[in-house]
This record gives sequence, structure tokens and C-alpha cells, in this order.
Amino acid sequence: MTGIDSNKMTTVPLETFPPMEKWDDWMEYDSAAWPRKVEKRYMLIPTTCFNCEAACGLVAYVDKETMEIRKLEGNPHHAGSRGKNCAKGPATINQINDPERILYPLKRVGPRGVGKFERTTWDEVLDTFAAKIRLAIIEDRKTEVMYHVGRPGADGYMDRVLQSWGVDGHNSHTNVCSSSARVGYTLWTGADRPSPDHEHAKFILMLSAHLETGHYFNPHAQRIIDAKSKGTKICTIDVRLSNTASMSDYWLAPWPGTESMLLLGMAHVILEEDLYNREYLETWVNWREFLKAKCPGVEPTFDNFIVELKKHYAYATPEAAAEECGVDAGQIRAIAREIGKAGTALSTHIWRNASAGNLGGWQIARCLQFLVVLMGAVGTKGGTNLNASNKFVAAPFMKPPPQQVWSELLYPREYPLAYHEMSILLPHFLEEGRGKIAVYFTRVYNPVWTNPDGMMWEKVLKDESKIELHAALTPVWSETAQYADYVLPMGNAAERHDLMSQETHSAKWISFRQPVLRVAKEKLGEKFEFTYEANPGEVWEEDEFWVELSWRIDPDGSLGIRKYYESPYRTGQKITIEEYYRYIFENSVPGLPEAAEKVGLSPLQYMRTYGAFLVEEESYEYHLRPLTDDQLAGSEIREDGSIVKDGTPIGVKVGDKSCVGFATPSRKLELFSPTMQEWGWPEEALPGYIESQIHRKHMDLAKGECVLVPTFRLPTLIHTRSANAKWLYELSNSNPVWIHPEFAASLGIQIGDMMRVSTRIGHFVNKAWVTEGIRPGIIACSHHLGRWRLFDDHGADRWASAKVVREETAPGSFLFRRVADIGPFASKDPDTKRIWWSDGGVHQNMTFCVQPDPVSGMQCWHQRVKIEPAHSDDQYGDVFVDTTKSMEAYREWLAMTRPAPGPDGLRRPLWFARAVKPSPETYRI
Amino acid sequence: MSVFLVSQFPVFHAQALGKTIQGSNLSGIPYATLPTMQYGFLIDHDRCIGCHACTVACKAENDVPVGDFRTWVKYTEEGKFPDIKRNFAVLRCNHCTDAPCVTICPVNALEKRKDGIVDIDRDACIGCRACMQACPYDAIYLNEDLGAVEKCHFCAHRVEQGIEPACVVVCPETAIIAGDLDDPESKISLLVMNNTTQVRRPEQGTGPNVHYKGTSEIALKPGSAARPEMYLWSDRPNDKPEPWPDDLPLAPDARTVLDIGHKVEWGWPVAMYLVTKGIAGGVMMLAPFAAALGLTEFAHDYVPELFGLLFILLTNFLLVEDLARPMRFYRMLTRPNWKSWLVKGGIILTLFSVLVTALLVMRFSGSETGLSSLRWLGLPLGVAVAGYTAFLFAQCKGRDLWESKLLLPHLIMQSLMCGSASLLPFAPGNTALQLIFIFSTSGHGLFALSEVLRRHSTDNARQAAAFLRVIRLGPLAPYRDGIIIGVGVSLIMVVFFPAFVCVPALIGLYLYEHAFIRAGQLPPLS
Repeated sequence: MTGIDSNKMTTVPLETFPPMEKWDDWMEYDSAAWPRKVEKRYMLIPTTCFNCEAACGLVAYVDKETMEIRKLEGNPHHAGSRGKNCAKGPATINQINDPERILYPLKRVGPRGVGKFERTTWDEVLDTFAAKIRLAIIEDRKTEVMYHVGRPGADGYMDRVLQSWGVDGHNSHTNVCSSSARVGYTLWTGADRPSPDHEHAKFILMLSAHLETGHYFNPHAQRIIDAKSKGTKICTIDVRLSNTASMSDYWLAPWPGTESMLLLGMAHVILEEDLYNREYLETWVNWREFLKAKCPGVEPTFDNFIVELKKHYAYATPEAAAEECGVDAGQIRAIAREIGKAGTALSTHIWRNASAGNLGGWQIARCLQFLVVLMGAVGTKGGTNLNASNKFVAAPFMKPPPQQVWSELLYPREYPLAYHEMSILLPHFLEEGRGKIAVYFTRVYNPVWTNPDGMMWEKVLKDESKIELHAALTPVWSETAQYADYVLPMGNAAERHDLMSQETHSAKWISFRQPVLRVAKEKLGEKFEFTYEANPGEVWEEDEFWVELSWRIDPDGSLGIRKYYESPYRTGQKITIEEYYRYIFENSVPGLPEAAEKVGLSPLQYMRTYGAFLVEEESYEYHLRPLTDDQLAGSEIREDGSIVKDGTPIGVKVGDKSCVGFATPSRKLELFSPTMQEWGWPEEALPGYIESQIHRKHMDLAKGECVLVPTFRLPTLIHTRSANAKWLYELSNSNPVWIHPEFAASLGIQIGDMMRVSTRIGHFVNKAWVTEGIRPGIIACSHHLGRWRLFDDHGADRWASAKVVREETAPGSFLFRRVADIGPFASKDPDTKRIWWSDGGVHQNMTFCVQPDPVSGMQCWHQRVKIEPAHSDDQYGDVFVDTTKSMEAYREWLAMTRPAPGPDGLRRPLWFARAVKPSPETYRI
Repeated sequence: MSVFLVSQFPVFHAQALGKTIQGSNLSGIPYATLPTMQYGFLIDHDRCIGCHACTVACKAENDVPVGDFRTWVKYTEEGKFPDIKRNFAVLRCNHCTDAPCVTICPVNALEKRKDGIVDIDRDACIGCRACMQACPYDAIYLNEDLGAVEKCHFCAHRVEQGIEPACVVVCPETAIIAGDLDDPESKISLLVMNNTTQVRRPEQGTGPNVHYKGTSEIALKPGSAARPEMYLWSDRPNDKPEPWPDDLPLAPDARTVLDIGHKVEWGWPVAMYLVTKGIAGGVMMLAPFAAALGLTEFAHDYVPELFGLLFILLTNFLLVEDLARPMRFYRMLTRPNWKSWLVKGGIILTLFSVLVTALLVMRFSGSETGLSSLRWLGLPLGVAVAGYTAFLFAQCKGRDLWESKLLLPHLIMQSLMCGSASLLPFAPGNTALQLIFIFSTSGHGLFALSEVLRRHSTDNARQAAAFLRVIRLGPLAPYRDGIIIGVGVSLIMVVFFPAFVCVPALIGLYLYEHAFIRAGQLPPLS
């Protein structure tokens, strides 16, 4: 047979990756021509995925003839992802070649939101924004410049930029995501994230779906399954059947919002059956504070503590938990005993899941961590580590001082304990007249679609008196970008510089994101001033954008800003992006210069070539690291083992070792939280159960009232950032409402029937997915789908969004009605004519009011809804919102807060983390 | 930090066994030329998390069009809340030891390589899609841009360079193991030996080389789980809109909740081809008996050959027109695969065309010598034209309904029915011709009814037979109406209006063939 030389069996053994020494010139046969052997030569340039938050390694194959990226595979040098990726990694090529991507900076024509844009220049963009920011700084309006980030994709770069400007303007997506988990973890350890060491665990307990999504899906999924293959048992707590639940040994689907009780039921068994780690608790838990506050008069001995602790949690019997949660008491016992057997090798995880759904969700994370503490599994091998021990953030040169201002639009005094910014309330604050924004950057952030109460966002985004100038920095169209003054195209994974690290396992690594075409072309001798010269169109990268912008804000250095953007290598000259990272790699990454030297490369060349570096191979039990002699000088040891200096605990004595302990005020694990007590929540000073806003006692199922769980994610999509990947959308393109057959039947609903789901402020109309994969009495709807656009050819990718019309049916009431399904269309990509799906899903978040948890500030996503068959005038995809009810709900939830000041007139506990932390003086009201 | 290499052990193993080693690969490791080799995959569903990374990496590596897949993940769910499990099945070409797609390909575009990979030469493909009928696993699709078929080729272009297939490299769970199943010491062989594994549809006898560990039987057994109109997070592709027949058994509490679609590739041209070649074959079968059947003068001398030529030309036209690359039909002659009944059928159709043309030329030119005896050749060639399709369809290993042993006599009956109906206008009062029509039509009717009445031996055939009754064509139920019109109405008409019986007979037969061709392709193979 012609073409195929099948006699040459060249194939044992197969290798996984091209050998490193050939990465500059790698020959592969063209798959399109095969079996004709057409040789293609590639340069392999590593970069970092920019889809989810995991920062997995990628290697771009740059065709040396066309200088285009052919495909992206995994990077074997990346310690987190280990050369492997989820579907979103290889789909990056779709995002690069997306026929609808934004290639040039665009400027609005006509009023905001009418959908007319014209091409502009980067110069014009920079000058416009520099002038406006400069004015705000000069006029001391340093809280009026705001950078609102959805996906950071970098560690600390923007903190430096904002602090160099002296503004308090960092806003984030955190309180639609992880605020509650952060508070729950922080109260225990001072670190706001877990880093489970799944690989070595003997038992894995997840309130998450880490075999398909989440922080950090691919690296965690690898290690969870590796453990499973070695016999580790897995328990997943999730209200719907996730892929993860399906791969687990135990799946518990409690009534949503009762998870704390479920976990306390397990804690109860561990206490009653004396399965806990006695020695560990005695050393590391602040049990004396517990006794002092909760049991005055009881002699402070550890035995008394155990007695009192058992007494305190006596209510949480497995039977009581089973009754409250709707799961089997026997299973609670069985899992608790598995935990007991696992000992210090208990890895657990919660990040969003129930924490993000419920009022008091932070107590769920806290109760989960309670189990870890009971077993002494904090930071151990196979246990649950802290992000602080497993993430490495390399310092750039010249750190600016903290800003001297505090923005109450970001951290209002009603939410002194919130983690972090109250970003979901920004439109409500602006609406109330709490301030205005002179310059607003949204960066890969799509609040109109993603946040609750999207119509409130639309309202303020259209109001030029509230937001004077708005740039959307984004690789892709979004519902929010439709309302911007400037839409500024920023690169995808292979088109920008960033440095990232994530706590994927008990080690520390960094991963370098690179504009691979620029790097490849520079290897071939071309020179570029800016990355957009090498990228498609004029797609830029933020790093360079901020350098240029900062330079133009302070061209003569008189504001003290310019110096942070002068080269550390060439005095007085503007820094290049290469120099910025060169400095970090040469000075801030332990071991990197030596590793680079070994292979004959400079540190920068090393990172350009390998893309990643393992900073520390094993990172366990950081709390046991010794205090230095300097630290110990002048300290005293108290009866409880605390090492105290100048009245402040700095560590813990363990045997004869002086350990740093945890980042809490007591340096211990704070079972009892003095902070909660002092800041107005004494009844929540211990891990406990808070009834959710969607507790079933509020529902009359017979009337169709139930809980909507609107948060679950799919393995193939990532929020609103993956709509530019056709291969992901052909796999996942609808978000029907999951409903159990019995529940559906009781409402006269069959599979595929249209349902009207009514929330407090509106309703949406979606199809029913009748499934055994969910508890009767609740419904669930995945959160990625339901993208819409107001315009024919922009607003969101056409293969992912339905065209809608927006109609104001009464003052403040809006109906979005679908006028065109997804369908085939002509473009430079022949695949767009082959689009076979038409649905695209239904948007739901817009119909949710804001429900910020009064402690953590977390949007409590779960909704109390009423479901019924669609009305006769309903159409599929209808979304209706009454914004007058929005403000009413906002005020109601605001009234649940217990505002600052706290002790010493503080706005926020000084020991709590805060994004871009300002100077301590600003903490005082 | 390490680069992950698969074990180099197999090469040394090969050397130890005295196998020939020549050349060297990228890392300087010698190539092994083993006497037998069979690349295969093990899909470890104890590890697979259903993430679709393999699906997308394959698309990126091989530029697979939207809507088509070389590998995909099917989700099924079994059980009731809360005792329910979602199972994944990573599905793709099985690189069969006895690959029916290779056998049926008329132009040798598919090849079983010596390393066991079943590869496709898209340049050679003419787009007949017979391989898609032959594959019992839904593994092949037509790339409509190219007019050529594609499927998983084990990333042969990478493998020849010593690099693993793209799906293997990307898999976060190392759940896809690629290797040589003929090497007893390879990782894949050891895994297959030491674990309980399954293959898809072993009853097809193709020798699948993709082994499955740890997934449910229902996930691998097509048509065993109910398939709702929509999927859990995707539209269901509307390639096969027919509802699942009510009377087909389904596993209790089992549902397919995510899957891809597979188009029905053979449509009206193939159904029509069965009718046109039935007419051509039938009239020539009857031609030697023209006088006895009451044909006189022009009808006697010319009509069978004229009809034979006209309908064989139509047949050829339909076959060529139905190719995705019609202008490349000649490759059946330039690079024939003699095992393929498409090629053998092509020869039969050609010989038949030559015969009828020769007979007509002789008749026109008045050279009557030997003409009557030559006409006798029309009998075996007519039977061959009518019947060869049974052998072709027997090579369609994915279509159990078509593989029936009854198909050969049934096709000959149909052809006699067509032939006699076509000749009846020229000898309407001839009892013998009427009797032949009645006999063959009744036979066709019985065969046709037997498709739904008899017990088929495989699930696939049972499912296809059930679909016969479900299929609709406009307002018609072509299986039922094909029998009513083609058999019932015809048998009455042949008594009273024999000259016009060809109208209901041929319309009825076309309807029946429409149902038969479509129904064969409706049951899921994956």
C-alpha cells in the first residue's frame, strides 16, 4: 500500500514526550497528510494553561515554517500537572484560533451598551487611562481607581502595580467563589486554603468534585486516583451525583446546607470512640482558651477539655445528624471510623461546594477542618496541608510600600471579617451613593453574567456618573465587555507572561507563562518591543500594559511611581518584561540559579526552556519549623506552651523544640476563636452548625418550593472563559435543571419539559433533566452555560451563546428573551458551519439576589425557588428580573451584619489577610 | 522532576528472545522488528474520570471536524438515588485483529499494518462508506470536507516516531495504556493478563484490541441502556431521530446520559440501487424464457436487454453518485481489494453490462448466430447481479440485520419480482409470467415479514428489526406500507391489471428497501 511503510515497525518502546534536546527543532509527521510522510518542524515552547486556576504546564508546538501554534500538549517538567492536562489544556488552541476573538483594542462609539465599537490604538488607550489615573492620584482620589479581577493568572504582579500607584483599588471575584471556605480555614490556622496531600492519604474526604473541577482539578485528580489505586478510600459529599461522587467509595448527598451537622456527626463519633489524636490536640489546640471562655470554673486540664468538648458536641450524634441531613447514621459512623483509621493521613478539601451555597458556609469548612485537627492531620504526609506551605510566590524587585488609603467600596465596615472584597455589592454601594469610580478595569471578569443580580451591574456599568471610564481587559467577548468604554484584547495561555504557583500537593513549584510566538521568533533572531507585535492582531499582555501605563502616569517620576518601572539592570531606563522576570529568576527563586547553571543556562533561559521549576520537593508540617535565635531572644514560655514575645505569641514549644506554629494570634489551632468572640459573633466562636437560608423547613415541596443548587461545574468548561473553545462546547452545551423523577412527577414534569424556576427577584425558564442523580426535593443547574449576547456578531462567541433581546417590561423590570438559538455560521473556521448543537443553556445567576454571608461576605448561592411547568407565554431561555426587589434583598442581608469597629476601633482584625494590604494606620476608623 | 518514559524493557526483551532489531529511535534505542505485533489500548476505567481530555487532545492532534470524533467518552448511569453510579466508557477504533473495515474497503484505503494498527489512507479513499457499515463499533466517520473517512489510527504518525498517541499523553489519570499486546511482557499485556477485562461486542468475532478494565457491561453494550432525548449537559445529536422501539428490552434503571451522534450514511441511493439492479437482474434472468413467457417481436428481441442496460446503468450511476468522491470511482479498478464484495460486485455489474450491450449490438446488427445461447448467460449473471449484495452486506459486520443468510434468496426473489413485473406490460395475459410474479412476490413478502416475525440471533439484528416498524418516510411507514403496496396490492393487481402491476410492486419494494437499509443502520454500535 502506498504511503504507509508498515514494514518498519519502529515502535517499541514509545516515549511520552519528545526528548528535551530536540525541543528547538522537533520533526513530526503532519497528521493531516498522513499516511503521506510530510515532515513538519516545530519549536517546543513551554507555557502555562490559563483556563482554570490550576496553572498546569503546557508546551506549544510552534510551526517553524508558518510560525503559528499547531497544538498544545503537557509540560513534563511541571511538578503539579506532570505533563498531563484536562480537556481545557489542549482546547487552548481553539481559543487562540477563535474566529470571533478580539484582535485589536476597541473603543466604544455612541452610548454605553449599544454595541458599537471602533478600532483604536494602544497609544490612545494608554494616554487616555494614564491621564485619568494621574488626575485621580494627584487629586488624592486614590480609592477611585479600581482593578477588578476575575482570574488573576499571576501571583502578586498587580499588587505591586496598585501599591506603586498608592491606590486602594484591588477588587476580586472571591466572594462569588471561596470567601466562606477562606474564613473557615483562616479561623483554624491563619492560612485561608487547604492543600490536601491526596497522594499519600489513607482516607480522602471531599466536599468538592476534584475529579472534574475546582482548585486544582487536574493535579488533584491525578493524585486522588493514584491514591485510590493504592487502596485509599474516598468519600465525597455533594448534593448531586458528580463524576467524583461516582468514583468514590462513599457518596453522601445531604440536604443542602446541613453539611456542618453531617461533619459534626462524624466528629462526635471520633470523640465518643476516642479515635482522635490526643497528644496532637493537647499540644496544638488552644483548648485552654476554650475552657476559659466556655467553661469558666472548670479546672484547665486536657482531660477536662475532652470531657467538655464531648459535652459541647453531645447534640451532634450520628442519629441527630442523620435526621437533619437526610443521610444514613450508619454511614456517618462508618466514615468517621475510616477517618479514625486514617489517622494523620486524612486529606480533605472544600473550597466552593456547600461553603459557597449557604449562609454560614464558613462553618462547614471549619467543621471539615475540625476533623483534620482531631486526627492531627494538619500539614502531615497524607494529611491536609496549608496553602501557605505549598505555594511559592517569588518576590519581584523593589516592593512599593502599602497604600495609605482604605476603600470602603471594597471593604465596607459592615463586613469586617469578609474574605475579601465585597465585590458582589459594588453596584449596590454605587447605587446607594457610597462613592464613584473614576477608572475601572475589569480583567477576565464578567460580573454582568457571573455575579448575582447582574442587572444591577448593567445599571451601574451604563451610568457614566458612577463609573466614569471602564476598560474590559479580556481575551474574549463577554456580557460585561458589551458595556465597556474600551475592550482591550489580552492574550490567552500562550500569548502572555505570568508567573504562577499553586498548592497542588505537598511541594512548591513555579510555572512560567510565555508568549510563545514572541519567544520562538526571538530565538530565531527577531526583536520585539512589545508582545503584541508577535501575537495575533494586536493582542497584548497585561504585564507590559501596566508597565507602559504606569510610565505614562508618571512620565517624569515626580509622583514616585516611575521608579518601580525602571530597569534594575539599566539605571533610569524603562524595564522590559524580560528584565522583570530575569530579576525574579536570578534573585527570588531558591535553587533556580544553580539548577540553571547545571544545564548551562541563565535562570531566565532555564525558565524559557523548561517552563517550570520545582522549588521544594516536599513541604510538610511548616508549623514545626524552628524559631530562630533572633526570634526567640527576649521571649518567654507560658504554661500552655506558647512562646510569647512582647505580649504576642510567636510560637509553640513542642518538647524541647521551639516551633513557629500556625499563623493565628495564638500560634495554635484555634478551636475556640477569640476573634469571632471579640468581633460580635460569640455564639459562633466554636465550629458549629448554622441553619442555611435554604433550610428545608422553609420549603413546602408540595407547592413546588425547593432549593436550587446553581453552582455545580462541568469537567469541560471554566466559568465564562471557555466559550471560545469549540471543542469544549460541542461536549457541553446545555444546563438543564436536574430534578429527581419522583419530585418531577409530583409537579407533573417530565424529562425535557420546560420549567419556570422563580427566585426572589425573577425567574428563568429551562428544561428538566429528570435524573436519579439528585436527592428528591432539590434541583440543581450547572453554572457555566446560558451565555447570551445582545448583538449579532459580538458580545459572546456565537457557538456558545444565544442572541437575546432585552426589554424593560416595567420600570426596573427586565425580560431577556432568546431570539436566535446557536446555529451554524460562516467564518474563517470551516467548523463553524458544522455546529450541530442549538441550546447553549439558560442563564440563571441574573435572577438571584445578592445574599452575602454576614461574616464571610460570601454570596450564598443556593436559592429558595418555586418550580412549576412553564407558563403559556414563557419561552425557553426567558430570564426575567425585577431590580426593585434586588435592592430590597440587599438591604435585608445587609441588616444581618455586625459592623466594625471591632476591638481597638479596627475595621478588620489585623491578623486577617487582606488583598493588597494597606498600612496598619488605615485599619483604624 | 522527570520526563516520563515508558519502560524500555520490551526492546531488551525482544533482544533476549533473539528477535531482529534494526535501526534506532529518537533516544538511540533500537527499533524492534518483532515477528508479530499488535498495538492495542487498555482503558482503565478504575482510573478514568470521564474528563474528555483524550477526546479534545485527539481533536487537536488530528484536526478532527466538529461533530466527528475519533475517540469519545460515553456516560451511562445505573441505579436509583442514592445507590447510583455513573460509568464512563472511552470508545474508539478497536484495531481489530480481523478488521472488517479492511476487508470491505474496495480500494485498499484501509490497511492492517504489521504493527497491528488499522490505518487509513485518506488520499486513496473514495468515500463509499462501506467501512462504516462494516465496523461494528461506530468508530469511523466521514470527513465531509475531504470526502474521505477517518478514525483513530493509533496516532500512527506519532508512533512511527516513537511517541505515544496524543490521548495517552494527555490523560491525567494514565487510564489509557498503549502498547504491544503480542509482547507478553509489555505493560499492557501484563495488565490485561492480571485483571478482568472486557472488549466491546466480542460476539462480532473481529478480535478487538482495545481492552476495558473496570467499567460496567452496560456501558460497553450498545442499546442496553435507555437513551433520553437530551443529555445531562449537552444536546443529543439529532442524527437518528427515530424513537427507541417500545418493544426492545432495556436494562432496568440504566440510562445513557452523554454520548456523541453517528450519522446514517447509506440512504435513498442504496435503497434505489437495490430496486434498479433487481429490475436489471430480473429481466435478464427471465430473458432466456422470453418466448415461453409470451414476449413477442420487439418485446421478445429487445425489451429484456434494453431494460437490463437501462437499469444497470442507473445502478452504476447510483453507486457512483453516492460516493463522497464520485470522480474517483475508477480507483475500484486501479487499486482493487479483491476481498471486497464491492469490487467483486463491480466486476459482476461490469460483466452484466458487457453482456447486455453485446446482446443489443448483435441484435441491432442482425447477427443472430449464437444470440439465443448467449442469452442464457443472462441467467447466472442476473442471479449474480441480484444476489451479490447479500455477500456485500454479509461483509457489513456492523449491520446484523443485513448479514442474514436469508438475504441471498430474498434478493433473488425480489429480482424475479422486479423482472416479471417489468415484463408483464409486454405480455399481460401470460399466465406463466403472472405465476412467476405471484410466486416471487409472495416469497418476498414472506421474507420481508420474517424480518420482524422471526427471532434474530443478535441484539443488533433484533434492534434493527424493531426499528423497521418505527421508521417513517413522510406520512408512510415504509416497512408496513412497502409490504402492503408491494405485496398485498400487487398480488391483487396482477390478477386484474397485470400490465400495471409494476407500479405498486416497484414502489412497494423501494419503500421496503428504504426501511431495510435505514433500519440496519439505526441500532447504536457504541
